[in-house]
Amino acid sequence: MKKPALIKTAPPHLKSGKKIPTAMRDVFIALLPVTIVAIYFFGQNALVNIVAALVAAAVAEIVFRKLLSKPVTLHDFSALLTGLLVALVFPPTTAWWTVSIATILGVGLVKELMGGLGWNRFNPALGGYIIIFFIAQWLPFLNQAQLIPVEGVTQATPLAMLNHGGMEMPALSEVIVGIPVGNVAGAMAEVSPLAVLVGAAYLLIRKHIDWHIPVAIIATVFVLTLIAGENPLYHIFTGGIMLGAFFMATDWVTSPITPKGKLIFGVAIGVLIVLFRLLLPPTEGVAFSILIMNAFVPYIEKATRRPSFSDPLPESSAQRAAAKS
Amino acid sequence: MEVRTFEGGAHIPHYKSYTESKAITVMEAPDEVIIPMVQHGGAPCAPLVKSGDKVEVGQKVGESEEYVSAPVHASVGGIVKAVEPRPYYDGSEVESVVIETDQNNIEFKPQVERNPEEMDVEELKEAIKEAGLVGMGGAAFPTFVNINQSQPIDTLLVNGAECEPFLTCDHRQMAEQTQQLVTGARIIMRTIGASKCYIGIEVNKPDAIEAVKKTIGNDNSIEVVPLAVKYPQGFKSHLIKAITGRNVPRGARSAELGCIVRNVGTTIAAYEAVVHGKPLIERVVTVSGPKVSEPGNYLIKIGTPIGYALQKCGVNLDQLDNHKVVVGGPMTGLAQDNLEVPLIKSNTGLLVLPPEMIEKESRYEDCVRCGECVSKCPIWLYPNMISTYAEAMMLEEAKEWNIEDCIECGICAFSCVANRPIVELIQRAKIEIKKLERKKA
Repeated sequence: MKKPALIKTAPPHLKSGKKIPTAMRDVFIALLPVTIVAIYFFGQNALVNIVAALVAAAVAEIVFRKLLSKPVTLHDFSALLTGLLVALVFPPTTAWWTVSIATILGVGLVKELMGGLGWNRFNPALGGYIIIFFIAQWLPFLNQAQLIPVEGVTQATPLAMLNHGGMEMPALSEVIVGIPVGNVAGAMAEVSPLAVLVGAAYLLIRKHIDWHIPVAIIATVFVLTLIAGENPLYHIFTGGIMLGAFFMATDWVTSPITPKGKLIFGVAIGVLIVLFRLLLPPTEGVAFSILIMNAFVPYIEKATRRPSFSDPLPESSAQRAAAKS
Repeated sequence: MEVRTFEGGAHIPHYKSYTESKAITVMEAPDEVIIPMVQHGGAPCAPLVKSGDKVEVGQKVGESEEYVSAPVHASVGGIVKAVEPRPYYDGSEVESVVIETDQNNIEFKPQVERNPEEMDVEELKEAIKEAGLVGMGGAAFPTFVNINQSQPIDTLLVNGAECEPFLTCDHRQMAEQTQQLVTGARIIMRTIGASKCYIGIEVNKPDAIEAVKKTIGNDNSIEVVPLAVKYPQGFKSHLIKAITGRNVPRGARSAELGCIVRNVGTTIAAYEAVVHGKPLIERVVTVSGPKVSEPGNYLIKIGTPIGYALQKCGVNLDQLDNHKVVVGGPMTGLAQDNLEVPLIKSNTGLLVLPPEMIEKESRYEDCVRCGECVSKCPIWLYPNMISTYAEAMMLEEAKEWNIEDCIECGICAFSCVANRPIVELIQRAKIEIKKLERKKA
């Protein structure tokens, strides 16, 4: 009898089938609605920036992984995802080279040089974005507008209007469904909170994210702005809150792992966002808040660590009674 | 119907439909059986026979003087062909008695018909010890040692959860051998002095729940507890927690918690041992897999080579290239590369997994902290942290994150999106930790 070539590997012998590329593809799919709306409203500008960011992400991934002599993991989609997110957080008027440089910084510096996917402490897309925010003061070419003029109405974003006060706000329904923001610091993804929410629903259904972080952020912003006497609905639907809450703060690598930790993380981000909005110049509040809390994730993990099943807490009298009955 | 469970764990695909409605059938005895001298946790037996000896069905062929051990018996009558090391399902070789089967002498004929009610506790224990009973759910701890407790035990838990995918041998035994199960439970209750017995059964076996309930009738000392269908519901610690609500602290033996857990097969074997004086020489094994043409629950002689058992179920051994043959369940069972390995007392299943069910990619990534393992770990550990430390052999850190509490149920590795072999990494680190501790001692 010929001996069959049997496979012998350690248990478990079954796998759930869910893998990193499938998960990242899910996020891509979830970003499609807002990407399509952005391209619809901003046309060529949006398209050029998105393509530039994707190409930059792929190049950065290949170059940095080769330099670090690690296998190139383009197939896991994580670098491309960073690229798309970077494109979406910049205003559509941003020059394509600025978006590309932000992507390279995000993928190369914030992710790969920090140890690669899994080890980076900060959200790569937001990291790249914020580095541009800081260095653009000395590198004016980063602030140059896209060569092609923006189509559509040029006007302040609803968030800017909220903060300046005295302006006539567009109807809430318009804000939610989508209005083309002008060339004042509005991100492409701010164009339609509804489109972001459609994608978020997909992520929740696919169980890529849980509700804890986004709900904690949004509820905190809602309650605090209500207490501060502002219109909470305008606050939660303007600026980068929806994209930040559902797509940035929920990044696996840079957020806490347990439900308790997620809630603390979300509430803290919400508090920071409101502080930024009410007390400081109203730009980049969401990005800063998330990045600041990214830094605290290891401490949140430590503080919320649950005891092992084998380390049971002393039984309460109620439990003892239940055990006896 | 109140369904009980524990916190953590997860629902995983069952694959039980291949065999869950297949009645137990007797598999023909092979022409040669291999009886390993170790089929239990504890000291190995010394062979009592030598090459050329004639043996009867049920004759004791191996025994140990040690307390923690269990004797082994000939599962068929015939001639001892050899006493030599033979391949064992864990990959090692174990001293074994090889018997050439006399096909006219394979049936165990009970010499006695005892009424357990008329036997005293010592007689019951002796019968269980002599029969070589061990935990038949996989742990294989000698049953006599388990029930011979000096401290008072109030509760017997009969484990009918059968939470591993594919396996249905306990299910069928509960449905078909209900009377033996309930009588067996009463026997074990007497040996440990328990006043209460809970039979925990996952609710995906409604026929078993019904049958057992009916047989218990209005005996209030025995109760069926429906359990949620969730892996790893059938692990001892989690069965205790789910049914009694008692915590299972690190290092505590179940007897210290006032309960003893016995598997369905073991409980029925206790009945056979006490009533018929029958040693543990055959057991019900689920032979299954998507491409096994005659999957089923077979009563198989201990010592039957797995290749023979597979052939009897219609598996063409020449077409097993790139397949996996697993002894036990798919979550914790062991893959085999030698089909001469014999089935032993604790083997619940024999599975053939076709290439499309097998993970081909051996490369894995760093943890991306998706949280699947943390939300599913039944011990509430952080397999993400532990496996990362284990991989780097940072043993102090791994210990600090309670690596030693891990029960290796496999649900973390099953769920890992980064394809990390979490259980393997943990096992390797645990071995190193034990080595270090021995050095210190």
